Amino acid sequence: MELDFLATVLLSSLSSASILLIATLGLAVVYGLMGVINLAHGEFIMVGAYSALTATQIGLPFLLAIPFAVVTTMIIGAVVELLIIRKLYGRLFDTMLATWGLGMVFNQVAILLFGTVSPGIGMPQWSFKVGDYSLAVYPILMIFVAAVMLAFIYLLMTHTVYGMKARASIQQPQMAQAIGIDSSRVNTMTFAIGSGLAGLAGAILLPIIPATPSMGLFFAVKGFLTVVVAGPVTLTGSALAALGLGGGASVTASFMTSVVGDVFFFLVTAILLWLYPMGISAKWRRKL
Amino acid sequence: MNKLLAALSLTTALTMTTSAAFAEVKIGAIFDLSGGLNIYGIQQDQALDLAVASINEAGGVNGEDIVVVGYDAQSELSKYTQFAQTAVLRDGISAMFAGLTSSSREALRPILREANIPYFYSSLYEGGACDRNTFVTGSSASQQLSILMKWAVENYGPRVYIMAPDYNFGTISGYWIHKYAEELGAEVVGEDYLPLSMTDYAPTIQKIQAAKPDVVVAIPVGSAQTGFLEQFAAAGLKEDIGLISTNYGSGNQQIVVSPQAGEGYMSVMNYFPSASGETNAKFLAAWEEAYGTDTPVVTGSVDVWNAVHLWAAAANQAGTTDTDEVIAALQSGISYEAPNGTVTLEPGSHHLRQNMYIARGNANNGFDIVETFTDTAPTFENEICNLVDNPDVVEHFTPEN
Repeated sequence: MELDFLATVLLSSLSSASILLIATLGLAVVYGLMGVINLAHGEFIMVGAYSALTATQIGLPFLLAIPFAVVTTMIIGAVVELLIIRKLYGRLFDTMLATWGLGMVFNQVAILLFGTVSPGIGMPQWSFKVGDYSLAVYPILMIFVAAVMLAFIYLLMTHTVYGMKARASIQQPQMAQAIGIDSSRVNTMTFAIGSGLAGLAGAILLPIIPATPSMGLFFAVKGFLTVVVAGPVTLTGSALAALGLGGGASVTASFMTSVVGDVFFFLVTAILLWLYPMGISAKWRRKL
Repeated sequence: MNKLLAALSLTTALTMTTSAAFAEVKIGAIFDLSGGLNIYGIQQDQALDLAVASINEAGGVNGEDIVVVGYDAQSELSKYTQFAQTAVLRDGISAMFAGLTSSSREALRPILREANIPYFYSSLYEGGACDRNTFVTGSSASQQLSILMKWAVENYGPRVYIMAPDYNFGTISGYWIHKYAEELGAEVVGEDYLPLSMTDYAPTIQKIQAAKPDVVVAIPVGSAQTGFLEQFAAAGLKEDIGLISTNYGSGNQQIVVSPQAGEGYMSVMNYFPSASGETNAKFLAAWEEAYGTDTPVVTGSVDVWNAVHLWAAAANQAGTTDTDEVIAALQSGISYEAPNGTVTLEPGSHHLRQNMYIARGNANNGFDIVETFTDTAPTFENEICNLVDNPDVVEHFTPEN
């Protein structure tokens, strides 16, 4: 096998893993810090994608459309937390059911608002060459974006008052309340941040994955499996799981067929969950 | 009180059904109006309504108005069978127009055969369905690929790469690509069959570059196609490698794709809105009046439009909506002046002989027709399926068996 092929496989697999991680981080934050499985996560990504699309259509440059999408999804997330999630604390299955239904509502609202086909914004037509192989720049850029998102969440959780309160609320809920942390307000914030991260994913991946009402489905399954495999240490766990599962599947697909790549993803997930029922990070001593 | 209300609504319902029994003929419609497949289903349903309105305006079927009993299958297979049963057992329909995917057709077919009701399937598909009660107005894979492959090998060169979804539409199309490539002296230099929910095209794009083809046949389904196109174009492969498809545009993908990625992507289909002819101009005018100009008409809509008109013409010819007589009329070599030229129902295979258009994606999210092939026969289906001589055959033929 030629060296240039190996190099492109490595780069594009890293990019695949990063895309998976970008789409998963919001879910991981909400699950890790609130214990809530948000089955509408894919639809929040969709909302982010349509927000960014709408922003570009009214003339905003793409770089400004991204923060617009983040703010929109954060507001929607906060409202959803106040109206629905808050009533269902500690009822894992009820929350799953409620958010699943919410996802269906979002999906149908998107169809009513935007119809079934909307013009995409296209991918920047930049490419570079590695030996004989040509690679599109934008997907490779996602490696950098994923790294920045990871660093941002890490700093948010470790170096801000909100982050400390959020971690206290999930690790020692009674103690946190006893010392005066308003855990419900912290939770609203956490859910809004999780939604905002989903919105960011939808917006920044828009050139790669065009906005369609049902696009949430593409991310839902693999995103959830990644978070479940990651386990309680949200950030490091998710990054590692995305790298192993997403990157591994991409490498497999490059050398064999795309179907085998998918089989790899699901098979390795099954094996990991069999070996580590609570996720790979269950016994780690890290907290993030 | 509740009982009274229930009794009241029951009587109203009864009076409504009895009064509806006069001078009306009912047809069933099941399409995906919500869920992931609705990019096709909504337009199919709109086409059905438009066709029914145009027939009723012209005097209906044997002097009776057509009434549509419509259902939303919600992109779920189980809903198709459920609603088909309801339509057959409760609504008393005379014909059924339904389905998009091959799996939906295969779920519906036995129910309508059992009930002995003509069933019209209106979508492009992999080909090979053979059943006395089933009539196909879309084009089949061999019908499209025989034309497209010849054109592609002549215009791009003999090295072909296949990139298709991993289910029967993709694999059977793959078979035909191999077969036509061999006949044309071309070579399949690589192939990749992808899971339906694929969004990561980087591995495929590397494999395409490693195989160095002249042309890629890319037929991923629905919105997955656009993601591939963007990456293919952004990697700068469009300059050297031709890109052809049998389903690009069938769900208006050319709207979603950015012009720089979609320009030059070749597609072959039995209808494009830019098709010439007065019938098409009239059809488009009626469509735009009813539904506006936001979404271009797709091939599936014209397939439904043609199906309803063919059924109505057959029922008028037979002078009744009785199934056996309508089928006999449909098997009489009936034809119709359609938006896509004259279409003729092949008596034996129940597939359409119709025009095929090769079109090129342009810079304005539309298509320019490059070449028109008139009166193209569904050769494979005609060869393998003869329902006039063997009315009892019920088979979904694949080219391998």
